[in-house]
Amino acid sequence: MKELSVKVFRFDPECDDSPHFQNYLVRVNEGARILHVLHAIHDEHDPTLSYRYCCGSGQCGSCAVRVNGEPVLACMEEACDEMTIEPLDLPIKKDLIVDMEPYLDRISSLVPGAEFRMPTAEEVEEIKPLRSCIECLACVSACPALKVVEFAGPAAMREDMRLSLDPRENCDRVTEAVNEGLFTCTSCQACWKVCPKDIQIPGKAIEKLRALANKKGLTLPRHQAVERLVRETGRSVDRICTSFLEQVPEVLEPYGELKGTVGFFVGCMYNMRLPKTALDAMEVLRRNGIRVIIPKEQICCGSPLIRTGQVDFLDTLKRRNIDAFVFRNIDTVLTMCAGCGSTLKNDYDCPFRVMDINEVLIKYGIEPPARLPLRATYHDPCHLLRGQGIKNQPRELITQVVDLVDMPSICCGSGGGVRSGVPEEAAALAENRRKEIEKTGADIVISSCPFCEFHIQEHTDRPVKNIATVLLEGYREKDRKNAQVKPC
Amino acid sequence: MILYDSRNNKMRSDAVDTAHVLVIGSGGAGVRAAIEAAGYGETLLVSKTLAGKGGCTTMAEGGYNAVLREADSCEIHFEDTLKGGAYLNDHNLVQILVEEAPQRIQDLLEWGAVFDVTDCCEVAQRPFGGQRFPRTCYAGDRTGHEMMATLIDRLHNTDARVENEVTIISLLLDGPRVSGAIGLDQRGELRVMLADATVLATGGGTRIYDISTNSSSGTGDGYALGYRAGAELIDMEQIQFHPTGAVYPYDARGRLVTEAVRGEGGVLKNVEGERFMRRYDPERMELSTRDIVSRAIATEILQGRGTKNEGVYLDVTHLPRSQIESRLPVMLEQFLKFGVDIRDVPMEVAPTAHHIMGGLRITTHTETTLPCLFACGEVAGGVHGANRLGGNALADTQVFGKRAGEAAGKAKERKKEVEQKQIETEEERLGTFLSGEVPPSTVVRSLQTAMWEGAGIFRTGPELEKTLGIIRHLQTFRPRAVSPANLAECCILQNMLVTASLVVKGALLRKESRGAHVRRDITQNWDAEHSPYRHTFLSLSREGIETGASL
Repeated sequence: MKELSVKVFRFDPECDDSPHFQNYLVRVNEGARILHVLHAIHDEHDPTLSYRYCCGSGQCGSCAVRVNGEPVLACMEEACDEMTIEPLDLPIKKDLIVDMEPYLDRISSLVPGAEFRMPTAEEVEEIKPLRSCIECLACVSACPALKVVEFAGPAAMREDMRLSLDPRENCDRVTEAVNEGLFTCTSCQACWKVCPKDIQIPGKAIEKLRALANKKGLTLPRHQAVERLVRETGRSVDRICTSFLEQVPEVLEPYGELKGTVGFFVGCMYNMRLPKTALDAMEVLRRNGIRVIIPKEQICCGSPLIRTGQVDFLDTLKRRNIDAFVFRNIDTVLTMCAGCGSTLKNDYDCPFRVMDINEVLIKYGIEPPARLPLRATYHDPCHLLRGQGIKNQPRELITQVVDLVDMPSICCGSGGGVRSGVPEEAAALAENRRKEIEKTGADIVISSCPFCEFHIQEHTDRPVKNIATVLLEGYREKDRKNAQVKPC
Repeated sequence: MILYDSRNNKMRSDAVDTAHVLVIGSGGAGVRAAIEAAGYGETLLVSKTLAGKGGCTTMAEGGYNAVLREADSCEIHFEDTLKGGAYLNDHNLVQILVEEAPQRIQDLLEWGAVFDVTDCCEVAQRPFGGQRFPRTCYAGDRTGHEMMATLIDRLHNTDARVENEVTIISLLLDGPRVSGAIGLDQRGELRVMLADATVLATGGGTRIYDISTNSSSGTGDGYALGYRAGAELIDMEQIQFHPTGAVYPYDARGRLVTEAVRGEGGVLKNVEGERFMRRYDPERMELSTRDIVSRAIATEILQGRGTKNEGVYLDVTHLPRSQIESRLPVMLEQFLKFGVDIRDVPMEVAPTAHHIMGGLRITTHTETTLPCLFACGEVAGGVHGANRLGGNALADTQVFGKRAGEAAGKAKERKKEVEQKQIETEEERLGTFLSGEVPPSTVVRSLQTAMWEGAGIFRTGPELEKTLGIIRHLQTFRPRAVSPANLAECCILQNMLVTASLVVKGALLRKESRGAHVRRDITQNWDAEHSPYRHTFLSLSREGIETGASL
């Protein structure tokens, strides 16, 4: 037996004015799950604690709660000391019980056609990954989009895609999905990362539905315009200034001892909207012993097309980009755009290793910069945190140069084509970010993605900077100080 | 609606919910019954949980038995089921099960169920214990979940109404006839539902044991509701202990490890590494019937050849990793959560209370001994005899669920009235809980331990008598509800106590070892096929054991 101290959300809307947290000290067996802690509270301390559970083995989806902010199945996740247990972020009926029915009702059901045909083995294999959903609504709880716009949510989109794959289904689920908010998903991947069944809803449902919508001519006009631009220019944004690629030679040698060589994939945003940030990054890499090879024939990675379901031109882009690095025998390609990095890692089949700049800098280690007298907060780019699993490296870099105050990792609204396609949603999500930024009291916002940086900057009065830029500022401050102390 | 007003502990009689058919239970049988009944008239399905999430169907992993191939036949399925059931099954019920199981899986397929298929687009089948043909259809190892998802989909396409999270606490009677039911919602308010026909599809009740595979709803409510209303139950002593339940972590002990693991080629070994099944059933080995495999494992553990967690090994490490990943994904995921990668390390398993073969006595049309009360699924008895074959329960839910919905749907329209006295009786009972003394969870734990120790895999008359004594003593406690929302827990506890007493009484009545029921204190000179005994029966008015040739 062991003793755990836990904090549990309590609220009865029928008699309490507001929710409160209650602390409990419970005794449970080794290996006890969160559910067993709830049982212990109910049996030994307070039988009025309300929570929902049923199968106790991760199969019915009744018991999802948030533990330390993250949605989990109470019956499967091991209990730990000092945890905070809250209901899912849905309307509360009592304590940990939320009103699931309105969300479950939004999940479509199969309407059989007149003629029956068994799905083939291939069709079954395609449907299966979408079919293991236990409708626990962890994804609905985590989805940022449905909190600001009308959106049926990830679980409903998943079922729409499963039905679209089923030969027995008689309805047009693609048009239905579009009407239910298909284009409001920012592809932040939060739904996938909290799914106890690991269902890749953005990639396997949302993007696939968007591709089917494309075939029906339902792609949003703004997204179609981006696709035309990529076809015509190889870039997803138009030219408004001298690009990064036009400003740099093909090889940038490090300033000091050579530690490693990487190829650099710049991406459309850093190339053509924020070239200065990319140049800052090159300085940081050179200062830390990295040789950077920059193939000039590289083009858009295709992410804006994949996210919006316009995939016809994709193979051409992939081929050209892969060849650009393969022809130069590059074994490691560095990305600094979170979206490009995630695309190269997850949507490409690259014959080389792809690493984000944060990974590279931590791997080789950096020269310590001077500390800047600033308090910063860090915005986790979705495609870095969830798309590439990079959480600690940026923080390790940032804390070497400024003080860091964390804030919750929530999408800023710029991804998935939402900034161009559903601007009012993108603005609403950015407004939520602005509030979180304000809460931290930070002087600056740091991020590591051009979309996030560009978008958040439009909605906050604090400067939004790339990690590389802040590091470079630290180096400049260091150089300035060193110059001051040296005798003339 | 008639409401229990918690402020003054009085009934408020505003209205009563009525329907043509009332279905109690939202597992595979209940939802199937509601789908069918909806074709005949207004149907109301009441679920203790959120419909589709409760019950044991959604947890069923391995599969659904149906004769689908030329090389197989209903006669063989019939024989396998009887032999597996130690010849205690009702032949006519088994006949219906094997004949209609293929049609009912076809219903599911037409409604969108995603079963695994062969390269020729036929439903894939795997071997299961005690069957001479691989006739167990499956959707990986989440077959029941697949069925439930399909059934709930279908239910949404009917006019049936669903009342979620209402616990039925008593059946209502109009003379001898069942006229509906009374329940409690989540806040502890009384709900009255009247119907021309009522279907009990409340599932099983092995939560009365300390170690069980059942979901939280497996508390035997239907057996108790039926018994208290006067229905007759048969063979309640026949409890299936599934051979393979998890042993770690302690709080999740009993969690089902599907028979599909052995169907896919998993082997059982004791701590010495010996494949011990060759000493118990050399022909069928791991794919012997569940009663035999359970006793074998229990014997190995009792004789000191178990692991330190009191289990034996179930090993699939010799199978291709891809086979484990595609055919047993839920097992893989669950064990990984508990720190065991079954691709590299054997599982540790021990028997766990799984299924009640006995239940309300039914006809082929699922009529119980009470007029206007129908029963289907695990709450009904007679289909599986003294030991159920793996894969026959899911088939049972669909075959008899459909029959119950149809039979109830065809029931005559009647005037729907409720006798105030019955409501008042319930009111009084609930009142005693509000002034009760003992937390229900304490009583539940005592009951579960007593049942595991005294009415488990191996039984003797004296131990059963002692267990019955404990149950009777526990029945004298006055359970306490600290708030109206806790009233249902007290009712459920009483249901568990009634169910447990029926199991033990049945076990005392059956003075022979047969199927899952083993009496160590009795020696017999007959085998199951030649037993002089038939069903045990229990009702408010009579109890005993039938004798004579099998039917």
